[in-house]
Amino acid sequence: MRSRFVSHAIILTLVATLGLTGCKNFHWPWQKSHPSDQGGAPGEPPPLTGNGIENGTRPIVTGELPHGQFAPVYFDFDSARVKPSEVSKIEAVASWMKSNSSAKLVVEGHCDERGTAEYNRALGERRAGAAREELVRMGVEAERITTISYGKDRPADPGHDEASWAKNRRCEFSAIKE
Amino acid sequence: MRRFIIRVLAGLIVLCNSATAQSQVTVSKNFVKRPFAVTGFTGDPTVAGQLTDVLKSDANLSGCLKVVPSAEAEFVQQGNVRGDRSGLTVECIVTQQTTKKTVLSKSYPGSAQDLRRLGHAISDDIVKAITGQRGIAQTKIAFVWTHGRVKELATMDYDGYNIRELTYDKSISVHPRWSPDGKKIIYTSYLSVFPDMIEADLYTHQRKRLASFPGLNSGADFSPDGSKIALTLSKDGNPELYTMDAVGGGFQRLTHTRGAESSPTWSPDGQSIAYVSDDRGSPQIYLMSRDGGEPTRLTVSPSYNTEPSWSHPPPDSDMKPMIAVTSRVGGRFQIGLYDSGTHEVRPVVDDDADNEDPSWAPDGRHLVFSKMRQWRTRLYLLDVVTGEQVELPAIEGGASEPSWGP
Repeated sequence: MRSRFVSHAIILTLVATLGLTGCKNFHWPWQKSHPSDQGGAPGEPPPLTGNGIENGTRPIVTGELPHGQFAPVYFDFDSARVKPSEVSKIEAVASWMKSNSSAKLVVEGHCDERGTAEYNRALGERRAGAAREELVRMGVEAERITTISYGKDRPADPGHDEASWAKNRRCEFSAIKE
Repeated sequence: MRRFIIRVLAGLIVLCNSATAQSQVTVSKNFVKRPFAVTGFTGDPTVAGQLTDVLKSDANLSGCLKVVPSAEAEFVQQGNVRGDRSGLTVECIVTQQTTKKTVLSKSYPGSAQDLRRLGHAISDDIVKAITGQRGIAQTKIAFVWTHGRVKELATMDYDGYNIRELTYDKSISVHPRWSPDGKKIIYTSYLSVFPDMIEADLYTHQRKRLASFPGLNSGADFSPDGSKIALTLSKDGNPELYTMDAVGGGFQRLTHTRGAESSPTWSPDGQSIAYVSDDRGSPQIYLMSRDGGEPTRLTVSPSYNTEPSWSHPPPDSDMKPMIAVTSRVGGRFQIGLYDSGTHEVRPVVDDDADNEDPSWAPDGRHLVFSKMRQWRTRLYLLDVVTGEQVELPAIEGGASEPSWGP
């Protein structure tokens, strides 16, 4: 008698809870939530650029920016964090910039094709800004480095799979000797 | 006991499924489509035929009319075409069957070369006469036209006809937005190598660079009175929200965060700006006064909300102002409407495709967005009152980032 009462009470509580919280928040156990529902990189602090480090003035560029001198730096999905594995590539750029003190640098930020167009321009700019922040920390003068974000509009790889996307989430570096 | 549990669980399943069913916005009494018959025009049969097609197509796209045979119609259109192909006069009359009242009787001058424009003008008058609401048949949409690695700007009629390229730069031009008077388009161009914010005058074909700071100059959007532009600049280190005078200069910084702000959209009264910030990790929609100050967070879930577009319905409209957004849920992109009462985003376009970049029509009822399936992107119209989507003709190479003109 008593156990029946307890079972009924449990069920009624379940129903009441669902009614109050709303069905749309309820996930049946077999409904897997997609990893990107967590926001890709939740709670990741933004890079420190923006605390008064003005962007460097634009160098004079005719035609396309020169690519290929430095290795691109790659990023995780939804992230503008410079990974420890990528730091040595930025060190190579910093080292060259310190040896070529009259040169200016353009850092490009790019995203993969997922994600909305204008937000990807902002995310690409944060990636370029993060690389720039590292370079400044390594001793390159901030005013010698400027950023360009292309968002998802200039992929390195036109493919539509994880391997292609990983190649597109990047920063590229172009040195301009004026 | 077991049977009892099964019955309760079954009841719960039914409850949950029915609770998520409603996604329509029933804010307008025009939700009931008025039955309308298009009997056409006497006179030149070719002209009459083309005009009739435009009238029927516009009536279907309006969302507030249902094209039916005369016997079933509440309102009936008739008309005649006079003159020759270079100088036409088209007369259009609409009568209410029950009362025999004439709700529209008007003459339209035109030529055989601009029959669609003429038909659209008639259609807007028909919608106004029958429903009292503002029509969209004469409006245009600007968009980004992808040709391989090149992105140019183009405009088209709201129904997908009459595509005109706006830029021929063989570069990347993105994020077009119209001035409230429809005479100018502001956008971001990489023609100089760097992303500059450009204003193009559609009549004089003159272009001027309005913002060319180091870093991003992007996301530009005109205020409703046309006097200001809100935009994203990263000249001070990372992408922040600024306003400037539409005539040039007068830059004022609104946000100061370590995250990236982007995608401003103005409120109908021009006093506030909704925008995207990822300052707390993933992008959400925030609100800021046009004069700056403390931001207010609008959206909390889903975990990715971007590309806000704030509708500006006419003052006498049945529609309330709304903010449409692009949300990412389960790896897919949806169009949602933000509810300022519950702070929730209610999906209105939610399918197996990627739906992005909503832009409101000036009636505050329709919006245009891009839908991508199998990496092909085309533009769609949505009527938020009926929930109906209309696919616009496919554009070779892809069309994206649409902006609905005034």
